[in-house]
Order: sequence, then C-alpha cells, then structure tokens
Amino acid sequence: MATELKATNSPDELLSDYRHGFHDPENYVFKSGKGLTREIVERISSMKEEPEWMHEFRIRAFETFEAKPMPTWGDTELLSQIDFADIHYFVKSTDGPERSWDDVPDDIKRTFDRLGIPEAERKFLSGVSAQYESEVVYHSVVEELDRDGVIFCDMDTAVKKYPELVQKYLATIIPVADNKFSALNSAVWSGGSFVYVPKGVTVAMPLQAYFRINAENMGQFERTLIIADEGAKVHYIEGCTAPKFSTSSLHSAVVELIAFEGASIRYTTIQNWYRNIYNLVTKRAYAYKNATVEWVDGNIGSKLTMKYPAIYLMGEGARGEILSMAFAGEGQHQDAGAKIIHAAPNTTSVVTNKSVTAHGGKTTYRGLVEIHPNATHAKTRVKCDALIMDPESSSDTKPTMQIHEATATVEHEASVSKIGDDQLFYAMSRGLSEADATAMIVNGFFDFFIKELPMEYAVELNRLVKMEMEGSVG
Amino acid sequence: MRRISISPNQLPAPGQSQGLTIDTTSILLCNVDGEYFAIEDVCTHDGSPLDGGRLDGACIECPRHGARFDLRTGAALTLPAFLPVETFRVTKDGDVVTLEFP
Repeated sequence: MATELKATNSPDELLSDYRHGFHDPENYVFKSGKGLTREIVERISSMKEEPEWMHEFRIRAFETFEAKPMPTWGDTELLSQIDFADIHYFVKSTDGPERSWDDVPDDIKRTFDRLGIPEAERKFLSGVSAQYESEVVYHSVVEELDRDGVIFCDMDTAVKKYPELVQKYLATIIPVADNKFSALNSAVWSGGSFVYVPKGVTVAMPLQAYFRINAENMGQFERTLIIADEGAKVHYIEGCTAPKFSTSSLHSAVVELIAFEGASIRYTTIQNWYRNIYNLVTKRAYAYKNATVEWVDGNIGSKLTMKYPAIYLMGEGARGEILSMAFAGEGQHQDAGAKIIHAAPNTTSVVTNKSVTAHGGKTTYRGLVEIHPNATHAKTRVKCDALIMDPESSSDTKPTMQIHEATATVEHEASVSKIGDDQLFYAMSRGLSEADATAMIVNGFFDFFIKELPMEYAVELNRLVKMEMEGSVG
Repeated sequence: MRRISISPNQLPAPGQSQGLTIDTTSILLCNVDGEYFAIEDVCTHDGSPLDGGRLDGACIECPRHGARFDLRTGAALTLPAFLPVETFRVTKDGDVVTLEFP
C-alpha cells in the first residue's frame, strides 16, 4: 500500500545527507580527483586498457573541450553555475554493492514505494546493488540475441570486442566538436550501450539499458551507439520513472543512431534525474532510404535539461517521429525540443511535444524543422502544447522552420493553456477530489506519450505524474 | 576556366591551410603532405568558413561543430554537414602551383 508522501526534510538537506553518505572513498577502485586534466583523461583510458585509437580520440576530445566556449544560448544563468573544476569525471566502482540502502534519501524511498518499483530494481536504481536480480532473464535475452547475430553490450566492451564497427561509426553522427558537452563526453565517456542489429533481423523485445549487468552503466557520461542494418528493427529503452541518483551534478550523454535502408529504430528515454543535476545530452539519428527513427523522450527530473533529439532524414521515403513530454516543478528548467532535417524527397516527420509546469517550474520547447531544396513532397507536422498550472510557472515555445522546397507540406500548431475551472468542476461533480481531478486531466494531457510506453513504464509514469501534481491546486 | 598561379608566399606549409579570395569566392588551399587541395571556404552546415579547421590527413574538420569534409572530393563525411563542399583542381608543376577556377 502506498505511503503518504510528506517531506520531512528539504531537498537540500536530503541531498546533503546523500552526498556524505555516498562519498566513501573506500568503496571505489578508482576515483579521479575533481576537475578535468589531460592526465585524468589519460588515466581513464589506461585504466580501461583501451587501444591507442581510443586513447587518441579522448585526448583530442579533451583539447576540443578546453577550446570550446560555453553555449551562449539557452538558460545561460543556470549553465554558468556549472563548475567543471568541482566534478569527479571518473569513478570506477567495485564489483560488489558499494552503497548502503540506509544511505538512500527517504524521499527517494517513498517515491519507490509509491511507484511500485520492485525491490531488486530499487536497489539497482539507487546504486545499492550493481546486480539486477533477474540475471537469468538477462542471460536468456542475450542468448536469443546472440543467435540472431545481434550485438548488445556496453560501449567499453564494444571498443575491445568490435573495434572495426565502433571505429567506423563512432562520432560520425555526433562529431566530437559538435558542442562543448559532446566534446566532454568524448573525452571522459564511460559505459553506455552498443547495439548492432544485422540485416533483416527484428529484435522482438525492447532492449533495456538496465538489463545489462555492468557496474558502470549508472555513469554520468554514457556513450551509446545503435546501428540497425538494412531492414532491421529494434526498440531501445533507457532510464526509468524512478528517481535516478548520481554522485555528480553533471550528466552529459551522447547517443548516436544509424538506421540503414528500410530499418527501424525506436529509442525511448524516461529521464528522472535527481533535482541537483544538469542533464545536457546530445542525441542524433541518421535515417537512410525508407528507414524510420522514433525518439520517445520523457523529461521529469534534473535541475536543467537541455536536450534536442535530432533526426536527419537522408534517404528517400525516410520517416522520423519525435514524441516528447516534460514536467518542470520547483527550481527546474526543462529546455527540450526536437530537430528534423529533411534532406531527401518524400520524407515525413511528426513532432509532438507536451509540457506541464507547476510550482514555479519552467519549460522551453526549442525546435527546428529544416526542409532542404530537392526534399520534394516532404511532409512535416509539429505540435507543441504547454499546460501551466500556476502563475509562478512559465513556458516558452521557440519553433524554427526553414523551408527551402516549394512542394513541401508543413503544419505547425502550438497552444498554451491552464486547466479550466469548468473541466475541474465537471470532474469533481463526478466525485473526484480536486487533486485527483487535476492528476487525471494532466495524465490525459500526457496520454499521447504514455500510450507509447511499455505497460510497466506507463503505469509508473501515471503514478509519477499524479505525485508531481500534488499540491498544484487549492 | 581560369588558371590562377598561387604566389609562393601564399602556399601553406604541410598540414596547414591558407585562405584565398578569387573574385568574391573564398577558397581554402590545404597542404596535405606536400600535395595541395582547394575547396570553397564554407561549411555546408552553417555557411561559415572552414578556415581554422584542423587538417587530419586529406580531411578538414569544421572548427565550429566538427563536420568533416574530404578535401579530395568535397564530400561531407560526418554530420551535421551532409552536402558536399565545392572543390577546385590544383596542379603543381615544379614550384608553380596553379588553381583552376571556373
């Protein structure tokens, strides 16, 4: 039975406890000093026993990171508060459990309770256990994948076991120098997934990042590369609705997707980082002829998220879809969006973005649709809706559309609204409390997104939205 | 087609590039181990110059977002660029380097 959520400590107090509890140097095999130097980058590479080409890749990336300026757009006020010198860039955990369940802040435990997260998963999610208990399930999945020639492993393993594939495709979609944070990721990346699906193979069940047994997959600088060869199909899920800890205040991932002719990739993310974290992520996909790429992207946690999943529709008939939802509460800014580049004829795209702000939170939709000359008969539809719960909260919509092809069909629609008194009155007249009515309406607002999720995620997300909405009315 | 001789003091050292302007076109002359390549000095991703980008073998990397171009063919090798950059033929006869400009 769900327990009542009542904050007995402020988030700062909880965070402070958590910091002290989790920073036990004896628990780590190696923990880099704070700040980033060439020596630390070299140490990371040598500890991982990486080949020379990856060592060089990291060093070049470090030099690029040093040379690149901070973004001059977005929430520059929050961005300017990032202290790069105060971050541990690499923590190599022991193989065994390195944290105690007692160290996990109470608010997180209560959230686990209320979301109905299974016990084993809770411990894994909170870093108490690096071993996911359904090891048997994991192995049977891996065996099935092996039989079909599918490669699914962490990126560190891929660098050693599949260097030709990694060297051929890594950083071709998101170059090291794309932005300051992709350069940072390239210099210090650790963990993340590598997926290769051979021609014509359909991976029937979604690949889930947390099925992998890997002490480092909680890392804050994951590097993921997914390649679906011709006609292949794969669905990859990262994250979960439960709050995710990190001992660092910066999470900066790079995710590259390549869908060859006729292939299909869906990448689902549900991001619920703890609310002290900067989540600055670069995600980009390349779709060849008749390929389909879908980003399903949910942003609930973090202090500041800047994330704009992109799809380059490069071959005729390629299709892209970006579904995203964002919730921003007190002290949060969800600056998220989507980029679609139509570079070939008969390409189609859909962008649907919905956001809810409450308790003084802020959301920004920042989107780009580009239709290049010769992308004849390209079609795109962009829809962004914002729901603002109180006068302290705000939402910005910044869509950009660059259309250079006369035969293209472009639709754009945006709305900003609040929950109408008549809607609330109607729901309450049917016996719902004000809070339940509000949660129901917000869940309905996010329904387009939730229905795209696997069942267990959908159930958890519904509960999470309800929790986040508590105190939003009255 | 015009053939334009490049003054010796404008020739870049190996691994370096040199910006030139012919009429109103900005051109980047690159020296790859003693062999010269010329491309239009513009990244097809954002329309700004490639000048200042790092040479890596016969490739140049855009200094802003890291897009890579093949100096021999002009092809874009990595996103965010995907359109090729224009190339110009360069010949070397003894110490005389000549660029063919359409």
